[in-house]
Amino acid sequence: MHLKPAERDPASQPRFYSALLALFILWPLFQAAEVSPGALFDPSNLKVIGSFLSGFLPPERGSEFLGYLGKATLETLAIATAGMALAGLLALPLAYLASAAGREKPTLNPLIRSLLTILRGVPELVWALVFVRVFGLGPAAGVLALGLTYGGMLAKVYAEILESVDAAPARALRLNGASRPLAILYGVIPQVSKELASYTVYRWECAVRASVVMGFVGAGGLGQLMDQAMKMFNGGEAASILITFLLLVFVADLISSGLRRSLDQAPPPSAAPFGPGSTGLLAIFVAAVTASFWFLDIGFGALFTLESASSINQFIGSFFPPDLSAAWLRKVAQGVWETLAISAVGTLFAALAGLLLAQARPRLLFNFIFNALRSVPELVWATITALSVGLGPFAGVLALALHTTGVLGRLYAEALDNAPAAPGRALRLSGVPSGLAFLYGTLPGAAPQLIAYTLYRWEMNIRMAAILGFVGAGGLGQLLYFELSLFHYAQASTVIIAMLLLSIAVDQTSAWLRRRMA
Amino acid sequence: MSFALNGVGLTHANGFVALDGITLQADQGEHIALIGPSGAGKTSLISLLGTALAPSSGQVSILDFGQNTASTAALKRLRARIGTVHQAPPIPGRQRVITAVLAGRLGQWPVWKSLASLFYPLDIPGAREALARLDLADKIFQRCDQLSGGQLQRVGIARVLYQQADLILADEPVSALDPVLAQSSLQRLIDDAASRGATLVASLHAVDLALNSFPRIVGIKAGRIAFDLPASSVSEAMLHELYASEGQILPTQSNEACFTPQAASTPPLRSACT
Amino acid sequence: MTCSIARRWALKGALACAFAATLGNLPAVAEDAVLRVSAIPDEAPTELQRKFAPLGKYLEAQTGMKVVFTPVSDYAAVVESLATKKIDLAWLGGFTFIQAKIRTNGTAIPIAQREEDAKFTSKFITADPAIKTLADLKGKTFAFGAPSSTSGSLMPRFFLQQAGLNPETDFKRVAFSGAHDATVAFVAAGKADAGVLNASVWDKLVEQKKVDTDKVHVFATTPPYFDYNWTVRGDLDPALIKKLTDAFLKLDPANPEHKEILGLQRAAKFIPTKKENYDGIEKAAHAAGLLK
Repeated sequence: MHLKPAERDPASQPRFYSALLALFILWPLFQAAEVSPGALFDPSNLKVIGSFLSGFLPPERGSEFLGYLGKATLETLAIATAGMALAGLLALPLAYLASAAGREKPTLNPLIRSLLTILRGVPELVWALVFVRVFGLGPAAGVLALGLTYGGMLAKVYAEILESVDAAPARALRLNGASRPLAILYGVIPQVSKELASYTVYRWECAVRASVVMGFVGAGGLGQLMDQAMKMFNGGEAASILITFLLLVFVADLISSGLRRSLDQAPPPSAAPFGPGSTGLLAIFVAAVTASFWFLDIGFGALFTLESASSINQFIGSFFPPDLSAAWLRKVAQGVWETLAISAVGTLFAALAGLLLAQARPRLLFNFIFNALRSVPELVWATITALSVGLGPFAGVLALALHTTGVLGRLYAEALDNAPAAPGRALRLSGVPSGLAFLYGTLPGAAPQLIAYTLYRWEMNIRMAAILGFVGAGGLGQLLYFELSLFHYAQASTVIIAMLLLSIAVDQTSAWLRRRMA
Repeated sequence: MSFALNGVGLTHANGFVALDGITLQADQGEHIALIGPSGAGKTSLISLLGTALAPSSGQVSILDFGQNTASTAALKRLRARIGTVHQAPPIPGRQRVITAVLAGRLGQWPVWKSLASLFYPLDIPGAREALARLDLADKIFQRCDQLSGGQLQRVGIARVLYQQADLILADEPVSALDPVLAQSSLQRLIDDAASRGATLVASLHAVDLALNSFPRIVGIKAGRIAFDLPASSVSEAMLHELYASEGQILPTQSNEACFTPQAASTPPLRSACT
Repeated sequence: MTCSIARRWALKGALACAFAATLGNLPAVAEDAVLRVSAIPDEAPTELQRKFAPLGKYLEAQTGMKVVFTPVSDYAAVVESLATKKIDLAWLGGFTFIQAKIRTNGTAIPIAQREEDAKFTSKFITADPAIKTLADLKGKTFAFGAPSSTSGSLMPRFFLQQAGLNPETDFKRVAFSGAHDATVAFVAAGKADAGVLNASVWDKLVEQKKVDTDKVHVFATTPPYFDYNWTVRGDLDPALIKKLTDAFLKLDPANPEHKEILGLQRAAKFIPTKKENYDGIEKAAHAAGLLK
């Protein structure tokens, strides 16, 4: 088929090569992830998972257990809230420094950006071990570990949310002589307050699930309880805990939508910009944070003593120099490849499933399904998927995919709702079937958002894939857990550096893809 | 002297020459209309005057401030004296009208006042007065996304009135307004400038509006100044020559479609407003 | 006074208070009046907490100090906090004791162990009838407990090596269940073809009928070795160390109250122990490559 240059779609050639390249990259990743859908339907596996899941009914309702559950829930809420408060405190200045928002020249701050990468890239367990040296066992170490990693994540996402919106208002204010902070407050924040609020609530919800990690250092909480129940295959207890997780997700959802609504609603035409609703929310927020710190009884003073400084110093010093022997590097490289495969394939599956389900009706039912999927922590999903397909990367892929489908499905549905409705409606009015009207009218408007969400999620999943190794999904996580347990810090250090490099690489790739596809 | 450009050129990073050899001066209090076909360089010239862009060549002096020796603090002080009306009002949609108007003085106010005004607007009478001049006083506590495109554009004008700038720049300030409202809103801007002795430079697509309201007309074509004359000396032939690329009919208010929001995919009013 | 008002008012106040309070009582009060105890999570942390409750009361009575037990889910956290003096007394495995000894520059002191710990063993279990000897494990998936567990990881690894098996190369996949009872669950559910756990937990699970012995069976047992002990950090007041040691050794199965404590600890009685008992484990750890 030889078309005259004028009649050939100039986009066809790059598209063809991109598709080829994608295939070329994805194929080995699928191989490394050991994707084998057949294992899902293997009768003996089905039997195992069936008997395991049947143990979930009835949920455990013994009063002793419910007592534990109630206490763990409170602990978890307090830890998550305190951790998020710290994270927020850390994230606001860092996001301001890292973001290009309100700047006249789009200079990114490479120093702060790398600090954020380190904060996010070092697993919570390592941070927790750092702070155990200062605070001893208990929630304080967990809260700080959570605060640091989530601070890094929040700062990065805040920075990017600030950059994502129309820059004209802030630029116009700068041209009126306003300083950068004021230009952001007056020109950017009003555009992004909804996104910031719902992202923060969403992260809080993640922090609730992350309490499983806090259990490492004796912070207790729901996650630790869940971890035990799953390890002991105590289905009834697991079911009760899952229900609690689900309820918490719903609460988070209510808070989030309440916040969004109150930000959406035009205030009554009076001079004061905040109604009683917003003032009440603010009061509740302050009370919750105060109560959390009070409940956990954290003495942050211990952090600022000379002794703790030298202790932390010594700990971090023991990670240097990293083990760079060829044999170890080979092992780490294999872990990197496996981790990358798990994260990429898992995210891809979730994106496909999420996109399909985001359009499904009735919306309420599917919202419930999304919430249920994401209310279960990835590590717990991994325990279940390992039962159905056996230990190995594919179990990790499925675990990531299941949880991420819940997250992405929800985000996709919202993004599609927020996408300009006019183009799709116009097509439907001219008789185009609704599926095609979606592809030609709605999807192009929402695509940049969808792609951005997916890539963000991939950046998160690369870290999660590393942790999934703790339950036998292979990859860097298993190496790290092993070496940390043995105090082989030189080896652990290599693994952490590999994790950092990997997450930087994924961040860069993701940013590049976002730029390309937006 | 309000501003002076001497042999100024502006070349974009992609090599496109937006302005070339522009020499233009204005005394304090002068009112100048920029006219010319789309893409001629009107917006670039206004950006240059507003210190949004730095020239690639030539000298720029604005309000006696040589840009080449800019310190950040001095530049900020200068900018506080320049007010710009944008074609697409750069106002977040969820911001309230009052806040959007008060934002005009962020460069002049002390920081505490700017911060406090986010929680409780500290100059309601001032903002109301500016809005009243554009018949928008009743919208003062509404949110910008509740306004029509035309109302939003007038909020943008009100912000500049409130700013009380010494140099007012206006880039198609009334493109979203119907002819009657366009004429009256533009007149408010002119009256304000006249009453305070401020310089006003407006780019206008509607030639009749420019000729009727401004004493001095600068025609721009392909990045160069085609003519710089009193309105009375601008001839029909000069205008046809200026707009040769756009056909036989001169753009005027009667034949010029109102500025319509662009397609939803490109940054439209909506994105300026959400 | 100011403190309580501040706390009522705002987060900032609360933080400031916490700060002031910690600075105020950091060195003296916290270390003297409270005995801080933890245990390696070789079983579920809540289970450990339950088991410890009567022992904790007993120790409170014997020492006159307040005893605080913090359950954790990571072995390394216990060793790390013992090394950094954040806990005073810890229930350690043989290998975690060696780790603690190294990380405290040899100052950690083992004070008592159960009679059973002097001749401890590990059990290799499987649900696969085809697996009859260690050699049959080649190419299978295998579950250890926690990586730094003595009986769930180190010693089995050592004895596997003696039998000519290298877990890293000879097994299809190695998983770390994290705890002994979890290993049984892994094997019972078919998540791993075989696994290894400590004999004491295995006996308990069999006794409590928590494991279906028709399905999961023991196919190999390790030779005996020294395992668990109660360890104190070396810079504790010698008088207190003496009190604690005596308290453990005094536990008498004939006394019903003591019997409950010993029962929960799964101990016939406690006997003295010394660092040298664990030299064998240290050698095994070096041989197995877990110590460098």
